[in-house]
Amino acid sequence: MTFSEYVVSRWDTLSLAAVEHALVVALAIAIATAVGVGVGLLTYERPKARGASLTVSAGILTIPSLALLTLLIPITGLGWGSTLIALTAYAFLPIIRNTVTGLSGVDAATVEAGRGMGMGAVRLLLRLRLPLAWPLILTGVRISAQMLIGIAAIAAYVDGPGLGSQIFEGLSRLGSVNSLNATLAGTLGIVIIAVLFDAFFSAVRHLTTPRGLRVRP
Amino acid sequence: MTAETLTVGKPRNPVRASGLRHLITPAAILIALTALYAWVGTLELDSIEQRSLNAAVILAKTVEHLRMTVIATALVVIIAIPLGIVASRAKNRLVTPLILTAGNLGQAVPCIGLLVLATFVLGVGFQTALVGLVAYAVLPVLRNTMVGLQQIDPALIEAARGMGMTKGQILRRVELKLAVPTILAGLRTALVLTVGVATLGAFVAAGGLGELIINGLKLNRLPVTIVGGVLTACIAFFIDWLGGLAENLLKPRGM
Repeated sequence: MTFSEYVVSRWDTLSLAAVEHALVVALAIAIATAVGVGVGLLTYERPKARGASLTVSAGILTIPSLALLTLLIPITGLGWGSTLIALTAYAFLPIIRNTVTGLSGVDAATVEAGRGMGMGAVRLLLRLRLPLAWPLILTGVRISAQMLIGIAAIAAYVDGPGLGSQIFEGLSRLGSVNSLNATLAGTLGIVIIAVLFDAFFSAVRHLTTPRGLRVRP
Repeated sequence: MTAETLTVGKPRNPVRASGLRHLITPAAILIALTALYAWVGTLELDSIEQRSLNAAVILAKTVEHLRMTVIATALVVIIAIPLGIVASRAKNRLVTPLILTAGNLGQAVPCIGLLVLATFVLGVGFQTALVGLVAYAVLPVLRNTMVGLQQIDPALIEAARGMGMTKGQILRRVELKLAVPTILAGLRTALVLTVGVATLGAFVAAGGLGELIINGLKLNRLPVTIVGGVLTACIAFFIDWLGGLAENLLKPRGM
């Protein structure tokens, strides 16, 4: 069976796995963005808290993914739960780091001008700091998404959802008829998902960047 | 550009070495290992667990793991840094965006997929794992080398040229030295990544601590899995700590 025949004949399984792969990554990214940007907002003006949140999230990222996924089994069992928790935990560092860098990188003169126009602390944050930091925050989210798409493949080993199952199927039947096809389908499928996510974030970035920022080189 | 380069890990702020700060990580690792040892000691191991959880096996797996990591990283250094230097030269600037995009998307190529695909070409074993590991870790180092070299203030290079340095001298004595923090940050990222990915080497029969994790899962013996997982995490933290020390030591003094 050629590769294309394999993809056609297994289309139902493959497309379901691909959708699940994208879904679990999207969920993890959504949770991590909500929490990570929140943490960034709370800590960017407090050096100690900022350092602590960055150290913790960097520490999480240091734990090998196979180890973290398996260590979660006694707590959250096999499948979606462990996968979602591990993926979310891995997504924090780029998001928090870029939120903090973006928010504290806003030009002091701009903030001063906003204050001079009579903006309070909340309006300064919502109408000035956040929009200016947004492109950098979005970059953080994008990096996290790319990373999670790759890590999610390993989650199949703890019975998680996604295209990783195809790769492990290929591995467990090494040498049999469709093992190469399954591995290729899993790997290429994941790369395609990554490209689609990247295109999505490019579009979001283009649509949501304040116009004043887009004009600058 | 700044937004993109932030991603791979810019050199972390030099935490001024008040000796104690540097001891937190090894102390935490020591505590974790002691706790692990004490916990396993309280368990009644059955014969299956005893076969995995004894000093000889654990030591052998750890050595295999470290050997895989160190050899892969050495190969990455040999391949990625010269390539990064070549890619950063002015006449090659056209490939820069290509490498940056590949570096971003390359993170999404699942390492387990790479390993299994390598198996179809090379069969199972140590070499296969090595190929997969190197392919996976080359991009971050290549990327940081290139970015580190390109970020150097052109005025400095102009000044060096004004002092009569040749191109080779400028590269060796100005550019590479100024790029050291960024290159090291990339290497540190790659090393920590490699420790993690090396656990997957067990899937292609290359040994390492991943074998404990997987065996524990397959045989439904959780303690074996936990020992493998905690040991791998401890190695990753330890290597990250060593990387941090190296960054502080190797940084050119003027910076």
